[in-house]
Amino acid sequence: MLNNTKTILFALMALANFASANAAHPAHQDSHSNHKITITDPWIRSAPANAPALGLFMEISNNTDQNIKLVSAHVEGYKRIELHRTVSNNGMMKMIRQDFMPIPAQGELHLKPGSWHIMLIGPNRVPSKNEKIMASLKFNNGSTQTIHALVRKGKMMMKHHSKH
Amino acid sequence: MNNKLLGIVGVLLLMVIALYTLDVNKNYKSLTPQLAVAQIMHNPDKKLPVFSLFDHNNDVFSNDNLKGNWSLVLFIYTHCPDVCPTELANMAMLKSYLESEQAAVIPNVVAITFDAPRDTPKVLKTYVAHFDKDFIGVSGNQKKIDQLVKYFGAYYERVIYDDNDKPVTLKRNDPLPSNAIEKGYIINHTATTYLVSPDGQVLAGFPISHNIKNMASDINLIVENY
Repeated sequence: MLNNTKTILFALMALANFASANAAHPAHQDSHSNHKITITDPWIRSAPANAPALGLFMEISNNTDQNIKLVSAHVEGYKRIELHRTVSNNGMMKMIRQDFMPIPAQGELHLKPGSWHIMLIGPNRVPSKNEKIMASLKFNNGSTQTIHALVRKGKMMMKHHSKH
Repeated sequence: MNNKLLGIVGVLLLMVIALYTLDVNKNYKSLTPQLAVAQIMHNPDKKLPVFSLFDHNNDVFSNDNLKGNWSLVLFIYTHCPDVCPTELANMAMLKSYLESEQAAVIPNVVAITFDAPRDTPKVLKTYVAHFDKDFIGVSGNQKKIDQLVKYFGAYYERVIYDDNDKPVTLKRNDPLPSNAIEKGYIINHTATTYLVSPDGQVLAGFPISHNIKNMASDINLIVENY
């Protein structure tokens, strides 16, 4: 009888552990990994309801020994999506369209305000703060990563970068 | 006796003139060693040109609207996904910080568009209010905006993509191609925020790397020495 009770208690504890682990899982959606590429803190800057363009930012880590390129991004509900980089040249802020974004072997690329960013152009609807927006990223190694970007205010100030 | 009186009046007159001149030509540059990020731009010989534009409520926005209050003036465009929202978000953070510090002066934030064809007052009303309900969006005749851009020492250039998808930078007076609004264009631009005194003088500029606390302390210092 005692053994049976112990078994049931053990089973219940295991079940509770399993349930809590699953409940905690959604909180970790800000990191997406397929072993080769890890994407951390993807976010879209919350924007005015009539904003014609939005910025999508994140940190991309390349865990392989090969250079990898991000070649395109897709998010539902936009007219066009482009890869961009803002560069500062003698006080002039230039936004330059890119064919790809390079993520060096065993290195990172930080997409952030005033630097590399994915430009979401012509939204059908500007997402609200705290929404999570699904995006897929295509890399030149054939892999595609799906991420969920949180719509939030930018936390960091822009730093003055001429090169990154 | 009369000569003595004339002499005294003369000396007093000279003192008044000297004080007046000293006040008008205050040497704000001497504050430079104490400033964290601001660049002094004060030039009493260079008066703000007479201008008349429209605010986001479609009311006239002219020199009079800058008088009597401190202002932070910046140039933006709403199709900008990166730099301009960063600047406006920083201005909102600066305003909150100045309020929390109970600063003596909380300047009005005036965002003038570089891009009048797309940024009408109505567009600016929704856009600018997103960052702070008190911010003022300004649009109007592009040539008049260009005069202000030049006066403040700002600069912009429009970039379109041609049929081969190659970027083409338009010259200042080049007209926009007829399909540019539909196809879209981007604007390369300077990103300085200007501090304007209640008598309409541009006293200082803050480059893009806004550090809110540094900006706030510089504004306080300039205001104290005004």
